[in-house]
Amino acid sequence: MLDLHNLRLAENGVPHLDSITASFAPGTLTTILGRTGAGKTSLLRAIAGLAIPDAGEIRLDGADWRRLPPWKRPIAMVTQQFINYPHLPVLDNVAFPLVRRGEKWPAARDAARAMLDKVGLAAMVDRRPSQLSGGQQQRVAIARALVKKAPVLLLDEPFVNLDYKLREGLREELVEMLRTETGTTVLYASTEPREALQLGDRIMLMAEGRLLDAGDPRAIFERPATLEAAQVVNAPPINIVPLEIDTVARMGPFGTQELGALGRDLAPGRYRLGLRAGDIAPGGPHRARVILTEVSGSETVTHLDLAGLPLVMHEKSVVAHAPGSEIGISARLDRGFVFAANGALISQGASHG
Amino acid sequence: MAEIHLQQLAHSYAPDAADPAYALKPIDMVWQDGQTYALLGPSGCGKSTMLNIISGLLKPSHGRVLFDGRDVTALDTGRRNIAQVFQVPVIYTSMTVAENLAFPLLCRKMPQAQIKKRVEDIAERLGLAAQLRRRANALTADQKQLVSLGRGLVREDVSAILLDEPLTVIDPQMKFELRRILKQINEEFKLTMVLVTHDQDEAMTFARTIVVMNHGEVVQSGGPNELFEAPATRHVGYFIGAPAMNFLPATREGNEIRVPGLDLSCRAPRELAKGPLEIGFRPEKVELTGPGQSIRGVVSRIWFEGLEEIVEVTRGGQTIRARLPAGSCRHGSEICLTIPEAGLRLYQNGRIVT
Amino acid sequence: MTDLTQSAALSRSEPEAVPALRPGLIAKYVFILLWSAFVVFPFLWALTTSFKDANGVTNGATWLPWIQYRPSTQGWSSLFGGAGGTDITRPYLNSIAVTLGASVISITLGTLAAYGLSRFTFRFGWMRNADITFFFISQRIMPPIVLAIPFFLMLQALGLLDTLAGLILVYVALLMPIAVWVMVDFFNSIPRGLDEMAWMDGCDPVTTFVRVILPNALPGLVVAGMFCVIFGWNDFFFAFTLTFTKTQLLPVAIVALNSSVTPWWALSASALISIAPLVLLAFLVERFLSKGGLAGAVR
Repeated sequence: MLDLHNLRLAENGVPHLDSITASFAPGTLTTILGRTGAGKTSLLRAIAGLAIPDAGEIRLDGADWRRLPPWKRPIAMVTQQFINYPHLPVLDNVAFPLVRRGEKWPAARDAARAMLDKVGLAAMVDRRPSQLSGGQQQRVAIARALVKKAPVLLLDEPFVNLDYKLREGLREELVEMLRTETGTTVLYASTEPREALQLGDRIMLMAEGRLLDAGDPRAIFERPATLEAAQVVNAPPINIVPLEIDTVARMGPFGTQELGALGRDLAPGRYRLGLRAGDIAPGGPHRARVILTEVSGSETVTHLDLAGLPLVMHEKSVVAHAPGSEIGISARLDRGFVFAANGALISQGASHG
Repeated sequence: MAEIHLQQLAHSYAPDAADPAYALKPIDMVWQDGQTYALLGPSGCGKSTMLNIISGLLKPSHGRVLFDGRDVTALDTGRRNIAQVFQVPVIYTSMTVAENLAFPLLCRKMPQAQIKKRVEDIAERLGLAAQLRRRANALTADQKQLVSLGRGLVREDVSAILLDEPLTVIDPQMKFELRRILKQINEEFKLTMVLVTHDQDEAMTFARTIVVMNHGEVVQSGGPNELFEAPATRHVGYFIGAPAMNFLPATREGNEIRVPGLDLSCRAPRELAKGPLEIGFRPEKVELTGPGQSIRGVVSRIWFEGLEEIVEVTRGGQTIRARLPAGSCRHGSEICLTIPEAGLRLYQNGRIVT
Repeated sequence: MTDLTQSAALSRSEPEAVPALRPGLIAKYVFILLWSAFVVFPFLWALTTSFKDANGVTNGATWLPWIQYRPSTQGWSSLFGGAGGTDITRPYLNSIAVTLGASVISITLGTLAAYGLSRFTFRFGWMRNADITFFFISQRIMPPIVLAIPFFLMLQALGLLDTLAGLILVYVALLMPIAVWVMVDFFNSIPRGLDEMAWMDGCDPVTTFVRVILPNALPGLVVAGMFCVIFGWNDFFFAFTLTFTKTQLLPVAIVALNSSVTPWWALSASALISIAPLVLLAFLVERFLSKGGLAGAVR
């Protein structure tokens, strides 16, 4: 069990880690989701010993890591950049950590060979890293991290610098490889909600160095604790519609609406309604202006302007709405999330999925 | 502003060899004035060769390049009135933004007052008005890229804008803004714009027509929806869309094409050449149904994505991927799937038939 | 972005690329030949002169031995204890010892210092790493004459005047800044991520430096080493001011050859023999570079 207790780290007064307390069980993959600058890298670097926290504790199975230098911590890490030893052939690269901890060359070589076989680089063992493509270089780095069988494996957006088909493939392979590594505590930092939801046994949301929420991916996705958490976990971003309740519910440009079950117990006042991009669909009474249509994989995300309110619409196929044109949209407002002024989730609409 | 006609164009770096290896296989294409195009393909597919031919850096070994019917094949880059934006912003870092934008006009000896007006106009449209007096090297990467674009736009005689992976070095959060500005510029200036990229999303988002290239060949040319709905080859089906298209080997049985072992078939076209057949369909077309006219299989993997999940279903050695609403099935359970006939595509020898 | 088909096609087209001899090309070759002749000429002159005797030298520019002049080994033998000359064997060995000794010490200390400056943050008052690095190189800005008297006095106080050890000490002071300067720049070009990766693979900082960083800094070491050897070998000024009779270095010895009668043949021979180690070094470095010594470099 890897335990973090009240971990703090600030640089020039900017908090990178703000009182992080968390536990990571062996045999689980935890994805750490947050935007760039949310503190994910700082967290992994603190665990690796590459960044020294200002306060707090890091313990593995009770052993205090505070005074342990990085080279004595039983960890493996893969970073965004494809870092391999440029002067060593691929095989020696992967065998390097084993040799360093005193294993004999034949044993280290065989283990490295087996691992390279697993990542599909059996034919490349004699090449230098510089002679490989980006994807292959990252496979070497992954092989070098896995061959150690370290109890803690840290992955810092390992595929972000690869192109998208490659990313898709490697992500699946990684899951396959980790399946056999029972007992390893894996932390995977990501900026992509989908990737984080797909990969994680558990998911941890971060923003501005704070831990927003942690738990089962489905539970977190279906019931984000705060508006901030909802913003981090949704891609495309969740829409925020102003909601004012007195005798009726008024929702900005959507006008007066019947909220049904969603608004039943709400006291009069101001709230914010979070509405997923998938709950807005083309065709409907509200006239919105198209700002830009972005295609991602098999889906289309359209940025709209509804009487000054920016909205994002998510469609499950490839379509092209001309920028500048006006289209009618409808919104499943009853499926929204109601957040209080302080951002806490108060109620949520009809079931999601 | 020009229509670009690539007439019987082909290029080999060794045209006189017995077996000329074509870096660009013969094509004939017309790119309409004021439209957006994307050249899409992995590195080494010939898209850079094509771009260099259009910009005039490379003289094609075969065929001609016409701008509005005028043969420009022999003209060098400087005389084609083309603006280019590269992967890395190319700007004069020692000058201010205004000086950068004015430079091409200064070189063409335009009167000062006119230059000032033009520069301010372009800066306004690019959202750079507030930055005009700043040093170019103090800008962020996306602003620098806008300045390089602006240097092309200030010239009123520009025929086309060529964009060579212009968003590679841009922070993901800033991409949206740049994409929006590019679209807007295209609307306002009615400029022919050609984007070269290996990123599917970039191409699909930017262009009205996407030219998919592979091994020096144009594989398909069409709108985003066309590429998605009816990929011309297996390669396009794999390359466009995530997850990739499903392809299952099929055989002909009378009037039908069937996938052996699965309850999946489509009508056979009247004429069919020889060669292996496959039925292809998008994971998005798959529907979850009750038993009946459907495919039964065991759920072997689930990737939870939030509102939806990608489900891998196995049946008799075949696997199908489907995008279904989240929570619709459990790992290891048996489910029934249907694919409406409208979503099925027939492929022979890796190329689309219907 | 690199286009693979493009580069592949380019390399395929190479055989066809051998063009016919056009006038422009002929002019190019003629120019290259002339330039080569201009560069090689002094060496050739020195070489022929070194095999001449007094008669041969005074007969003007002659090139072909046996035909135009009678070859003589007098110039060469006089350098190594032969009749009518000064023996330069001793100064030659001295120069090798001092240059190699000073270079090895400078590179060793300089590389360590440079790694420290590149990877760790130092503070001294308002000064940071960059200032400290500049401090190293700043002493090379001063004209050497400024340093001569302090060096003289210091060596005198230490009893090291006119000794090899004293000279090595002085050369280390002169060469190490160059090593530091070259290596700091080189280490800075090696990403820190590589050090960190090595730490996580179980290397402590010393092992990291030896096993990971040094092998990747090899091209930098070669460059720094070359600088040191060239500077050390060619220095005349300090070799002259800090020695008297016991310890003489090659440049001083060669100058001393030029006594009452100028023995051109011996001078030529000594000139050739004094550049020999540098020529050898240049060949070795060239071999290293062309064999892909830079292949492992991080760039």
